[in-house]
Amino acid sequence: DPIISVIKNFQNVDPFKVTTNGHFQIDLGLDNLDFVEIVMALKEEFGFEIPDNEADIINTINMAVNFTASHCQGN
Amino acid sequence: MGASRGPRLSGLQKQVLSLYRGFLRAARCKSAADRRQIESIVSAEFRRNSNQVDRKNFLYIEYLLRRGKKQLEQLQSPNTESLSQTKQS
Repeated sequence: DPIISVIKNFQNVDPFKVTTNGHFQIDLGLDNLDFVEIVMALKEEFGFEIPDNEADIINTINMAVNFTASHCQGN
Repeated sequence: MGASRGPRLSGLQKQVLSLYRGFLRAARCKSAADRRQIESIVSAEFRRNSNQVDRKNFLYIEYLLRRGKKQLEQLQSPNTESLSQTKQS
């Protein structure tokens, strides 16, 4: 899954801890600043825009995947 | 390790994240080396503040936000190439 691999490649992330239902903070030990970076990396990779108030609530891998997938249909 | 936050962010936290996003966006317009430098300085500074500053210390946080916004504006100006750090005692 290309979305999951972007997350796995992220600098602060242990790829072995990334699961589809994982929580960024609880499972991966990331903080809010990391969430911002991850969302920005996904935006850059998959070319979508997300308003800040929606980006701020993404804190699980599932949410990130769902959001990315729903905004780039056809990619 | 940043302070743990619940799923709902306070207005102040949102401003901090929005400022951080602004820095990341500005950094992406610079060269790759500048971008890495900016990202490492900004991320270290934000994290240090989140660890050292009491979350209830609104005045200081708002001061940091204002200062950060000015630095971001300077960064976005085409004359600026990179950030430099100032040591605070």
